[in-house]
Amino acid sequence: MIMFFSSPSDVKNNGHRRFFPYCHIILIPRGVSGHESGGITTFFARRFHHVTDHSCAIIMGSGDSTLSKIPNVEELMEETGFSPAHVVRLYERFQALDKSKKGQLSRKDFESIKELATNPIRDRIIGAFFAQGQEMVDFHTFVRILAHFRPVDKNRPKKANMQEPVNSRTSKLRFAFQLYDQDNDGKISRNELLQVLRTMLEMQVTDEQLESIADRTIQEADLDGDNAISFDEFRKSLEKVNIDHKMSIRFLR
Amino acid sequence: MALGRLALGTVGASRRVSLQRGLLFLCALVLLLLSEAVEPLGASGSPGGAGDSSGGSHGLQKGCEADVTKSKHPTNRTKKPFPVLSFDYEHVKTPFEISLWVLLASLMKLGFHLIPRLSSIVPESCLLIVVGLLVGGLIKVVGETPPVLDSQVFFLFLLPPIILDAGYFLPIRPFSENLGTILMFAVVGTLWNSFFMGGLLYGVCQIKGTDLNTVNLLACLLFGSIISAVDPVAVLAVFEEIHINELLHILVFGESLLNDAVTVVLYHLFEEYAGVGSVSILDVFLGVVCFLVVALGGVLVGAFYGILAAFTSRFTSHTRVIEPLFVFVYSYMAYLSAEVFHLSGIMALIACGAVMRPYVEANISHKSHTTIKYFLKMWSSVSETLIFIFLGVSTVAGNHSWNWTFVTVTIILCLVSRVLGVVGLTYVINKFRIVKLTTKDQFIVAYGGLRGAIAFSLGYLLDKSHFPMRDMFLTAIITVIFFTVFVQGMTIRPLVDLLAVKKKQETKRSINEEIHTQFLDHLLTGIEDICGHYGHHHWKDKLNRFNKKYVKKCLIAGERSKEPQLIAFYHKMEMKQAIELVESGGGVKLPSAVPSTVSMQNIQPKKPPSDRAIPQISKGREEEIRKILRNNLQKTRQRLRSYNRHTLVADPYEDGWNDLLFKRQKLMEIEKKMSKMSNYLTVPAAAPDSPTLSRARLASATYVLQKIVYPQAYSSKPTSDDLPTIKVDLASPQSPDSVNLVNEFQKAATQNDPDDDGGLVMKVPFADKDQGEQDNKKEQQRLMRCLSDPGPGGDEEEDEPFLP
Repeated sequence: MIMFFSSPSDVKNNGHRRFFPYCHIILIPRGVSGHESGGITTFFARRFHHVTDHSCAIIMGSGDSTLSKIPNVEELMEETGFSPAHVVRLYERFQALDKSKKGQLSRKDFESIKELATNPIRDRIIGAFFAQGQEMVDFHTFVRILAHFRPVDKNRPKKANMQEPVNSRTSKLRFAFQLYDQDNDGKISRNELLQVLRTMLEMQVTDEQLESIADRTIQEADLDGDNAISFDEFRKSLEKVNIDHKMSIRFLR
Repeated sequence: MALGRLALGTVGASRRVSLQRGLLFLCALVLLLLSEAVEPLGASGSPGGAGDSSGGSHGLQKGCEADVTKSKHPTNRTKKPFPVLSFDYEHVKTPFEISLWVLLASLMKLGFHLIPRLSSIVPESCLLIVVGLLVGGLIKVVGETPPVLDSQVFFLFLLPPIILDAGYFLPIRPFSENLGTILMFAVVGTLWNSFFMGGLLYGVCQIKGTDLNTVNLLACLLFGSIISAVDPVAVLAVFEEIHINELLHILVFGESLLNDAVTVVLYHLFEEYAGVGSVSILDVFLGVVCFLVVALGGVLVGAFYGILAAFTSRFTSHTRVIEPLFVFVYSYMAYLSAEVFHLSGIMALIACGAVMRPYVEANISHKSHTTIKYFLKMWSSVSETLIFIFLGVSTVAGNHSWNWTFVTVTIILCLVSRVLGVVGLTYVINKFRIVKLTTKDQFIVAYGGLRGAIAFSLGYLLDKSHFPMRDMFLTAIITVIFFTVFVQGMTIRPLVDLLAVKKKQETKRSINEEIHTQFLDHLLTGIEDICGHYGHHHWKDKLNRFNKKYVKKCLIAGERSKEPQLIAFYHKMEMKQAIELVESGGGVKLPSAVPSTVSMQNIQPKKPPSDRAIPQISKGREEEIRKILRNNLQKTRQRLRSYNRHTLVADPYEDGWNDLLFKRQKLMEIEKKMSKMSNYLTVPAAAPDSPTLSRARLASATYVLQKIVYPQAYSSKPTSDDLPTIKVDLASPQSPDSVNLVNEFQKAATQNDPDDDGGLVMKVPFADKDQGEQDNKKEQQRLMRCLSDPGPGGDEEEDEPFLP
């Protein structure tokens, strides 16, 4: 699978800060760590010194001991926008979850989180970490998935030609949408919606009720009349919801 | 009693003449149109005056034979030729004058909305203060002393309705999401304002040549704490008119509500210390403890009464009529109980309203809910109006001691401390917020810090023996209130427009939003758990689970306790839409509203009978007939509805709402299937056989429900081309090109529309008769229509355009 990542960088130039957006296109087979193409990004990252808080220090080579254990950490941080403290924290969590100590998480590892056991959409959340056909999650993918939930930072530069950052409104929504859309056909069908409703309502309601709600929901959101909710329709129906707020977690605050 | 004391308690009884003349004059002036309203005032003016000036006691004695007071004056008995009729104004004086003031207030409010140009520029609160000033001026011109806003009355009777309204309808979600920010502004912000202002004012007072050297530090701090609190009444009055976005509204409004605890504590502490004269470190520490006790105690008292109210409402299903009363009484008790211990009554009310609401709403009937809503809105708006009017009147009435330095410095310091406080606190808060507060937001929060009647009442409560400068304080407070309400209140709307601050989006929540929001909540809880981070979502989830598992079972009666939030929301939404539609009378959405008198055609999509009965009629003529019928039907339908609304008994769908909703869904499905198998629909003309009969019975059983619920399924379509399409169908049902509908529901809708138009035709003469009789007739009508069915051939042909 080919993934596109981008990262804006604050570039210091001649003493005054200038926003200089950068676009990296990295070809990474999903789920594989320690990619070869990383060199290019590191090259850019080294060339343009970061001004974003701690990352500068990392690139200059004075890393934390935990950080140094993670391969390609600068690149990861640049991709996801996490600060070193975040990455360290996540790495610790990752290792705590990784019962088999293989540097990868299996579904079992996720399922053993006991707080998650009561979550009605547990399977979907766990499933989101696993790309199709993959059985294991490495740290990089783990962090990349979680990066969707990083709060949007307004002071990062934005430009039209740039690939969207992973925590933008659209990609947050896309992430949520894919949790509904289990067959990946780009639409939430009536059945998919029914499944979600059933899991969320935990068998407290009759099928009739569920169906009427699902029908109602689709009827409300469906603009092109295909009896399913496409991503655009999904986005439209959530227009008034502050997604930046709703889909952000305050990591390490 | 409240307003009577307000009007008269502080003022001598002899002033009534002028008071009423003033009222009469003003009402006549502003509201010439409302002649009926002026009549009672006029009638009251002259006898009131006569009774008062010639001696109320005389009238009292004369009337004693026919009155309750008889026993009190047995000796003064003089025989009257006509003993029953007598003049006794004193007897009704207090309630009568309360009514007069309320009437004046309401008429004023009414009057402003008759002049749309005025109310679009000047906020209502400003206009009301001006009216108050005029009334006060008039009273003074006549030579009497105008009444002053009595603090007792204000805190016990005028303030609670406003706060309860705010607390009961508090948007919990935005409030809890921004609770940190709100608390920061309310607690730290108010503390900062009080001490900054108090300190600097003291500094100014020490400057020689200002005649203020007598003002000591504690008095300054007390003044600072009175003047620094943002006032919920003023904020509500202004912010409700500018329709600002939810976040800013809840920030400013939440602050104004929660700073009450700080104000109460600071006020009582400084008042106490000023009496004693010395403050130790221990006092400061005790002050902090006091604050916690006052705030948390208020919340606990409120929550206690809230739970009690919820629990009580569990058992009211047999006496629906008094349900709303429990909400009001328990809340008021919460407020009073908190006030007994000098806890924060406002916090208690807010907590009470917010705690009871979800459970009470699940328990009470929909009508009670509407009653609560309207009562709260009515009380709060009348209270608000009275408060602003009396603020104006009190300004004229009070003893003022105007000190240029003090007033100017106060106003400047108010602005400066507010701006500094907001900017400084936002800097800190933004470090913790996901969605940062922008400069614009900060500006609005700072600018929206209006002061109001609470400050005035607190100032009024000051003891003159301890605070010889009370009059000066009051003058300064009033000036600040006027400054904030007039200058800031009037300019905030243009500024909001100028800065292009996001406005509130006036939409109902859609079911999509509800589902997705819940889904996202679960998702984020899951992600937090995966990260091992026990944040906001984690605890919220825990609380929800606890609520679902234990609290709901105790507080909500019957099935509804197990009802998931989503289902409850779904019902509420359906209900709301249905009621909106019913109340709007379907005037705008005529085509979709017409099927409200759904009869058996619902499950039997067919041609309008008018077509069948008079087949040779021309299109133009047909259209004309339709129009006439439609206009008449509208009226009869409304009449019917108002009949239903006022009788509590005719309420068959109230409790069985759950089942009926889904029965309706079932019906729709049947209908869908039926529209597919067109053969089934063709009922032979000669045979009004048992299937038809049973269907008719089914239809009549769900009739009441259908009438209300049905149309909304169609009208809820947001697509703009929905309505025109249906209209075309109505006009010429045979034109096939009018049908370009895509989904099943719409098909069903179009099939129904012409039908039900037809169904209405038959009902005209019976529409406003007795309900039972009407049903019978309808039954007959249906049968008759079945009999007059043209038969399979015709039907198929007619149905053609509507088939898939």
